Amino acid sequence: MIKRIKVGMASCGIAAGAGEVLELLQEMAGDNKVVEVGCIGHCYAEPLVEVETDSGSYIYENVQAKEKDLQKLLEVEDFSRFQPHPPRVEKERELITSLAGKIVPTSLEEYRAHQGYDGLERAKEMEPEEIVEEVKKSKLRGRGGGGFPAGLKWSFLLAKESENKVLICNADEGDPGAFMDRTLMESLPHQVLEGMLIGAKATGARQLFIYCRAEYPLAVKNLNIAIEQIEKEGLNIIDGEPVEVKVKEGAGAFVCGEETALIHSLEGKRGTPRFRPPYPTDYGFHGYPSAINNVESFANIPLIVRDGGEKFAETGTENSTGTKLFALAGDLKYSGLVEVPMGISIGEVVYDIGGADPGSVKAVQIGGPSGGCIPAEHFDTPIDYDSLTSLGAIMGSGGLIVIGNNRCMVETARYFLEFTTRESCGKCTFCRIGTKRMLETLERITGGVGSPEDVELLGDLGQKIIHGSLCGLGQTAPNPVLSTLKYFNNEYLAHVEEGYCAAMECKALVDVFIDRDTCIECGQCIKNCPVDCISEDYVIDNEVCTRCNSCIEVCPVDAIARVAKGGEVSVGN
Amino acid sequence: MSEIKLTIDGKEIAASEGKTILEIAKENGIEIPTMCHEDRISQNTSCFVCIVREGKNGNWMPSCSAVAQDGMEIDSSSDVVREMRRTALDLLLSEHSGDCEAPCTISCPAHARVEEYVRAGRDGDLRKALEIAKERIPLPMSIGRVCPRFCEKDCRRNVLDNEGVAINDFKRLSADLYYEDYMEERKDLTGQKVAIIGSGPAGLATAYFLRLEGIASDIFEKLPETGGMLRYGIPEYRLPKNILDKELAHFKKMGGIEIFCNKELGKDIQINELKKDYDAVVIAVGSWKASGMRTEGEELARGGIDWLEELARNGWQGDDPGETIVVGGGNTAMDCVRSALRLTDKPVHCMYRRTEKEMPAEQIEIDEAREEGARFNFLTQPIKLRKENGKLVLECLQMELGEPDASGRRRPVPIEGSEFEVAADTVIAAIGQKTIAPEDLPTNKWGDVDVEEADCRAEDNVFAAGDCVSGPATVVEAVAGGRRTALGILAFLKGEKCELPRQVNVSRGHWQSLSEDDLVYLFDPEEKARVPQRLIPLEERLATFKEVSHTFTEEEIGEEGKRCIECSCTAKNDCSLKDFSETYGADPEKFGGEKGIKTYNSRHPHIILDNGKCIKCGICVKVCSEVVNEYLLGFKNRGFKTKVETAFNTTLPEFCTECGECIEACPVGALDWKKKKDE
Amino acid sequence: MSKDMVLEKSNLIKVLQSEQKKEGYISDAAIERIAKEFDLPVVEVEGVVSFYTQFKRVPPGKYQIMVCDGTACHIIGSTLILNWLTDELGIKDGETDEEGLFSLESVACLGCCSLAPVISINGKVYGKLDRKKLLKIVADYRKKEAAGS
Repeated sequence: MIKRIKVGMASCGIAAGAGEVLELLQEMAGDNKVVEVGCIGHCYAEPLVEVETDSGSYIYENVQAKEKDLQKLLEVEDFSRFQPHPPRVEKERELITSLAGKIVPTSLEEYRAHQGYDGLERAKEMEPEEIVEEVKKSKLRGRGGGGFPAGLKWSFLLAKESENKVLICNADEGDPGAFMDRTLMESLPHQVLEGMLIGAKATGARQLFIYCRAEYPLAVKNLNIAIEQIEKEGLNIIDGEPVEVKVKEGAGAFVCGEETALIHSLEGKRGTPRFRPPYPTDYGFHGYPSAINNVESFANIPLIVRDGGEKFAETGTENSTGTKLFALAGDLKYSGLVEVPMGISIGEVVYDIGGADPGSVKAVQIGGPSGGCIPAEHFDTPIDYDSLTSLGAIMGSGGLIVIGNNRCMVETARYFLEFTTRESCGKCTFCRIGTKRMLETLERITGGVGSPEDVELLGDLGQKIIHGSLCGLGQTAPNPVLSTLKYFNNEYLAHVEEGYCAAMECKALVDVFIDRDTCIECGQCIKNCPVDCISEDYVIDNEVCTRCNSCIEVCPVDAIARVAKGGEVSVGN
Repeated sequence: MSEIKLTIDGKEIAASEGKTILEIAKENGIEIPTMCHEDRISQNTSCFVCIVREGKNGNWMPSCSAVAQDGMEIDSSSDVVREMRRTALDLLLSEHSGDCEAPCTISCPAHARVEEYVRAGRDGDLRKALEIAKERIPLPMSIGRVCPRFCEKDCRRNVLDNEGVAINDFKRLSADLYYEDYMEERKDLTGQKVAIIGSGPAGLATAYFLRLEGIASDIFEKLPETGGMLRYGIPEYRLPKNILDKELAHFKKMGGIEIFCNKELGKDIQINELKKDYDAVVIAVGSWKASGMRTEGEELARGGIDWLEELARNGWQGDDPGETIVVGGGNTAMDCVRSALRLTDKPVHCMYRRTEKEMPAEQIEIDEAREEGARFNFLTQPIKLRKENGKLVLECLQMELGEPDASGRRRPVPIEGSEFEVAADTVIAAIGQKTIAPEDLPTNKWGDVDVEEADCRAEDNVFAAGDCVSGPATVVEAVAGGRRTALGILAFLKGEKCELPRQVNVSRGHWQSLSEDDLVYLFDPEEKARVPQRLIPLEERLATFKEVSHTFTEEEIGEEGKRCIECSCTAKNDCSLKDFSETYGADPEKFGGEKGIKTYNSRHPHIILDNGKCIKCGICVKVCSEVVNEYLLGFKNRGFKTKVETAFNTTLPEFCTECGECIEACPVGALDWKKKKDE
Repeated sequence: MSKDMVLEKSNLIKVLQSEQKKEGYISDAAIERIAKEFDLPVVEVEGVVSFYTQFKRVPPGKYQIMVCDGTACHIIGSTLILNWLTDELGIKDGETDEEGLFSLESVACLGCCSLAPVISINGKVYGKLDRKKLLKIVADYRKKEAAGS
């Protein structure tokens, strides 16, 4: 007997086609209740549908909007069952995401049925100092990247005497390749709000903002529904007074992840940072004392207050407690969102959880454009704030990209620099012009016209940009370059000294070649070439070729490949 | 307010709490450079030129914004700090587009303030034009006639209509009008005296610039009259000697400059004695030895410079040379060809082993020689000269151009079996000239006097200037060399080290790489062709040595002046970026790469906003919004594309009172009055 | 300054967002109007609009194609996706075609990393693309358009 059917309708599910599945299921389900839930983190298996029955729950993966398939599903047949691979189950520790994808995100009732708002209720009985103390005991560090102790930040705000204090949730998740915060807001909006309300009680803040990326419409929608619900229920009444909670949408500026820039943006200004001190806890939104915490940090708070800071600190390491969410992507089998205890090794995440093939990975990129690349030989390093920093990366907000052997590290660094150059607000000389000059230098190197002096310049200028920038964006922008320079210097040198890109990724350093022994003369490549550079006798004019890969993609016998410019030719095998 | 203690560059300082490091440094006489800070407005913290380092924790911080804390040890002057500042400036320069100085001034060997004297001439103040030109060019009448006009070749006007402004004619007219009644200010004579060997342009210029500083000189001339090459090398039809006499008379009027003719070094005077008798000695003997053809029978040919000297001594009269072959392609060769044309009705040939394109002579000289009937034989190499039946017979080879040589010009190579013969009455070899350096002085591999680059000193108290240092060059180069030597002597006499100030010059690049849209115009440039040079009739040119070209009229100069687009920076004398870059050794070429946004807005009648020069410090935006309480300027875009503009980039609105606060506060020339201030 | 007034002014970005939602872009006239409403200098509002990439100053195409250039998509080949679209549509990153049908834009991250490479067309996400799939999607939109008009 089916109790209800849950369709994973977070962004990644929708992108994979969950919307069509939901629609069709609703038509076919009859009296069975079909609900939308969030994300369980196994994005590679989307769309995911869970059928709850009297005798237990069954999850189906890669569900297509086909009547035949859905009929089987409604009959709880044994097909396309989702089974998380055992190493992941073993290594993962779902503390803050335990409800994600399991409850209806916008159901206050369901959240409460799973101990939701118990932490807030408890907090309401506590003195602010006690809550702050509990958070200090948990040793929770900011999940947005910097790793500043959350309890300490709150104690600064608590100590401020002011007619108004402001608490801001930084949900401007700008790292390309990171979606932890999105998942939390989409799947568990109440948990984020609960953390914020506890914060309001703990610090005396009476004005609460969630500064959310505009690219996350579902998160904004779910948060707004949740806010309406708590206001209706009076959950937002703290010390007898209603606390105002507002979602503010950002408008596309990575630099607004920087707290002073975020505040300017909230105030309706250009999102440029300013010099600190004064810190926002002294002079924040419109001059009022303000504290800014990240979404994931707030999502941790209810657990800390509910179960106690000491209990929380049992998970993780001495200086990095609790769990961390990572958005796993890149060259691996099981991409998605994963929650792991601090202290787990990089290798466990990449190989055991991610299912990446050990021989095929050369590095991971942690922390997005602010982070660094860590080579495979350091994969036994535990994931905690200090270990990652010592390797030249940062915890960052949690983007973790697996880089396979077939990727060029110089090109990877160039990609990140291109991002930060585009996102620089333009205020500081070193960041505005320095990142541009670094990017141009990297383009020379990937373009085949770099020199050994260029490689040297990158290291020198990179250090100076770190010292000569006002905010986190500029201070970390050179990290992807500096870390690849450190661990993959040979790749840089191969580009500038031999004009060789081992990964065959840098266009200027490769030719495209048809192996006539393998070619079956089917004509597909000639037909699909957008610049008509393949002759009738199957020879590519590499002067005209734009290296678009169209021919390589369409070739049915893999007779076409990129080869090193001017080097030995061998294709296939 | 309580007091804190800190050190800046090791100096212990007590200061009241709450002040920035920059403020405290300023109060204590420690200079920290800054470009984005302005006392009246809130912090910008953008330029990072004021960066300092805290010694204990090694943290870097912008001193304009960082509030001093008790116990800080601030480093504002160590090499690493200076290096950071220099990099900030290198970066700002790499984004900065414009021409600090106009290319005419840069390319002028004497670096005369060209744009300024052209402007004075355009505005009708030719006396002022002369005054400005004479700051660097003590021979404006001569140079106004014979200069190869380096300035005009690099003139930005070329971008618009392929013809530079006729700059040299401004010098010529202003000098023709006012030279005799203009006398520059001179310092009182100090009693020190310098001996100068040679009264050519280099010797005269050295004497001139020394005299301005109060140093007297005695000039010794080997030949019967003064002027060196001006008198004995440049033909009368280019530089009439009565004009030269006028110009030279001025040197005597200055007081303290004496010229002694018929005094030859080594014969009538000796260096060793001069060294003792004078505070310093200047060798300015020029390059007078004609090079031979290096062929069999070369002694049958006349040396070009010798032949001209003989004509000069004869008052530009001489025997009919008959059919003449001049070998060579430089300016001296042209002088010989054109002089020969004035003395004979027979054909005059110029024989050159490459093509016209490779000729080192000025194009105008080639063109005028051709007008006068010169016949050019290009790609022809003489190999032997002999006398036969009273005629000279020159054996030649036909050449073709091969690969480029070290000079970048394509090397001529002989065509096999192309030998041929030509006959002539006179053969003149104008191949080149060499220096005959005085004995015992150090020389370089070309035989020129070897001097220190910084102060032009050869040895002890002996200096050298002009062609005898550089090899054969132009009058303006000799004059520039004379000035450098004078500066070297002045430092030497004071016992100081001679150091030329470091100059930073941002340039848009050579005009050939630019299009009309690459330039910034203060005012819309007028469409106007160059005023043509008027010449005397051809018959007169062929029959006499009368000066060929006319001096421009005042009306013509006024019109020609309107062609100048005044391309130098409005803020070139008042630019923090330039000043700090010079102090910190920053280099506009250090990074290269794409320049910042280059748009500009010159629609306002008096004010220009040039984004290419803007350093995005934000001062103007805040001065307007916080001090003046308007808010007419704002930042647009972000990152590398950030720029400051008015709303929708319209012209400044009517309620802008043109108070000029933003202009005064702009650290560079991004916001400025369009009308240039003359210093 | 009262708390309400403070909030009033900080709503600028929100108002601009709803203007864009309505009109598809922010015109000069809208900037002038909004500046007046907020009693802000026009140049300041223009400066805010130009700072954030979300705001468009020219009308976009009927179908706005966003090519995700997030890290996951990038390393799996989003550059090729953009190139293929450029070849197919004849417009470059940031441009709209002449008929005003398609506009093409490369964006930082659409947040669907596990489906890389992805694009979105008017908000609808298409993932795990290869050249064939991509060209079919574009062809389908063209077909739809041809059928509709």
